[in-house]
Amino acid sequence: MKQDNVLALDKISLEDAVAIAEKGTHCGMCRIDFLGTGLCPSGKKHGFLAYWPQGRMELVKHLKEGRIKPTEKLIEIANSCTLCGICDKQCNFATQLRPEKVARALKDYVNNLDKSKFQSVVEDDILKGLREIVGKEWATNDPIIIASYIRSIIPPNVELNFYIVMPENTEQVSKIIKFANQKNIPFLPRSGGTALSVATPTVLSNATSLEHGIVIDLLRLKKLEIHPESSTAVVGAGITAFELQKEAYKYKLRANVAEAGAHYCANIATTGVITTWGNSYGCLADNFIDLVLVDNDGNIKKHSDMDISNPYTTEHGFTNISLSPSYIITEAIAKLFPVFDDEEAVLVPFDNLKDAMDMVLELGKRGVGLSLAVLSYKYLAEFICPTPRIAKDFEDICKNYMKLRYVVDVICDKDDKKIVEEMAEYTIDQSLMKTLILGSPKLASLKDSEFMKILSEEEDPLRAIFAGPMRKHFEKGLDASPEQLAKVYDKDLQDFFKKVYSKPEMTNVVWLHAFRILPSRLMRQRMTMGPGGAIWAGDKNHILKWVDMFAEVGNKYNLEHALGFISPLDNGKFIYIEYDYFYNHNDADAANRISKTLLETTEKSLVMGQIFTLINYLFKGIYRKEHVLYPLFKGLTKEEQEVFREVLHSVLGDYEQW
Amino acid sequence: MVKFLSEEWIEYGKNYILEKLDPEKDMKNITTSLLGIIEHVPPNDITMSFYLELRNGKLNDFKVNTGDSFEGKEAAYVIRGNYGTYKDILQGKIGTAMALLKNRLQLKGSKMEALKIIKPLDGLIESLRKITDEFEE
Repeated sequence: MKQDNVLALDKISLEDAVAIAEKGTHCGMCRIDFLGTGLCPSGKKHGFLAYWPQGRMELVKHLKEGRIKPTEKLIEIANSCTLCGICDKQCNFATQLRPEKVARALKDYVNNLDKSKFQSVVEDDILKGLREIVGKEWATNDPIIIASYIRSIIPPNVELNFYIVMPENTEQVSKIIKFANQKNIPFLPRSGGTALSVATPTVLSNATSLEHGIVIDLLRLKKLEIHPESSTAVVGAGITAFELQKEAYKYKLRANVAEAGAHYCANIATTGVITTWGNSYGCLADNFIDLVLVDNDGNIKKHSDMDISNPYTTEHGFTNISLSPSYIITEAIAKLFPVFDDEEAVLVPFDNLKDAMDMVLELGKRGVGLSLAVLSYKYLAEFICPTPRIAKDFEDICKNYMKLRYVVDVICDKDDKKIVEEMAEYTIDQSLMKTLILGSPKLASLKDSEFMKILSEEEDPLRAIFAGPMRKHFEKGLDASPEQLAKVYDKDLQDFFKKVYSKPEMTNVVWLHAFRILPSRLMRQRMTMGPGGAIWAGDKNHILKWVDMFAEVGNKYNLEHALGFISPLDNGKFIYIEYDYFYNHNDADAANRISKTLLETTEKSLVMGQIFTLINYLFKGIYRKEHVLYPLFKGLTKEEQEVFREVLHSVLGDYEQW
Repeated sequence: MVKFLSEEWIEYGKNYILEKLDPEKDMKNITTSLLGIIEHVPPNDITMSFYLELRNGKLNDFKVNTGDSFEGKEAAYVIRGNYGTYKDILQGKIGTAMALLKNRLQLKGSKMEALKIIKPLDGLIESLRKITDEFEE
């Protein structure tokens, strides 16, 4: 067998491939066609994660570590990659990684293996039973395929005692669950896997993953029908937010969806689709007309069934925490909303959170705007900047020179735009946003420049740049064009990205809000943990105290942190807050600090009370907001806090000693 | 070391709990009762259950049965799960609290009250883990 370090085809060693792979975060953007490149041919054909770029990246790590031994399947997986380069384009847009190099290294590695030393894979009774349900091709216990699911449903340090099964309809899901129960094997559904991959390096790893058993990969449930007459869509569990939105847009309709790579049904189940559009489109059970689900006994149920007990209610108090779904949503009838011809984006910059929050709540209560949010400088920088380096400098400029700490971000029709403009002293419109997107590299390069120093000395730098005479020079000076932006990419990808950024939608803020292809950039080459939750909007001091608490805990554990977003919901009656902590997921110490942060912020939130934390939010998505958020429970009593800690001890051991 | 749910298991369990667990220190002097229902017990895919009663932290009753109830016994808590879940708990693959949070075990009764006894329950499970080494396949 050839040595690991000489596995290159074009000078890519396995070490270099692993170095790329380790930066991968399972964002899932290689599984959706968001740049018009088409999809990875091998992933599309074979389905299992190992055949997709993200799965290959995971595999390479475990091969290099020697954790898995090659099987015949490895040859098929490696050779199924046609080196078409689609993944490089997709991944580069989101994360600046080059998965094709990993695929090349894997091909070379495989071609130099001694096939006589391959481990054989035996079809046992469990696998046989699963194959009888879904067909031979769609169930496996091959360790190579299993390993590709590590970190997105399988925890990193367990024996690979799993089966992966890919049903194609609700009936097959039901049969799999009944079979699993009969055989006494645990199971867990997997959709996009992004929520699980965020949790994996942290304390939530064991809580949100499967320790052994059957992974039910729902990717093949691809039913998607748009019904324009009723403004609804029938959405299978394998359909991503992007795919649903793309189809809905053909009919001038829009779905309320999560990040592009998230699967719509799983997102309903997990958190009830938390978005900036929630104030007008709704949240939790508002999102759907009906659901088809399979419960943990394998029974198929519909919310519209006449004999079903109330499916929209959940218990209250901190004990309603659930770390796994008690059902699998296999199909949803989703509500769709009209896309208007006069929709526009308008952003209002602020230097402090209180004023920004006042404005977004005022808009929310008045029902102004379709999408409403306060975004921090961090989100703005991460979303619109093509690389992490540019984002970092852009962020410094926003925060330290322009004093742009927050924006109230509104998508609205032209009448509502007038209202926003009347309420604000100055705004950033679609045209200026396009300039900022295309001109972000140039703006970032101005960090520490004389221009920025002069700007920062202005009494109100935001006014100077967005409402004063400097605006014209600023816009011109950014030299914003697809050509300029494309120059930040690797040479061989520059022509492609010039074309990508020439497409109107790539700089159209309304489209970007609807299709949500940019949030994946928050995860580029690192992880983002975003605790938060819902809180009534009536007591603003309580809200600000909550945000301050997140910042204090972030500082205590020496983490990079910032507010993510605040969005009003239900006509401004309550708001959802996400607060983000950023960390290197390959750094065990950083992951440990994130775990402590997560536990501490959750406990403090529960003690503060009148807060529905993210942990409580998990798997409440099918319930009515009226049942979930009214009443919000009071803060933990001393006795309840003690119980909370005892439960943590039971689940985590002596976590204070970490 | 004995087989889960066997008569021997009950006897060993009783003795172990009485001898090794301190009613005050380990069991917090709790008075409670628990009905554990075990579904899909191999090899014949039957349902079995055990009833466990503590008074002031001392074991008062511990028995096993086929079916999902005990005549004349009304437990404060009922937990239901499949054989595999109980096996995983007794093999230390998953904790009782985690099994509850992951919906592997369904609880009937006040969850808050149940969580209050999680610490003594963990001690009890730990004891049963030490005497159980055989399971139906």
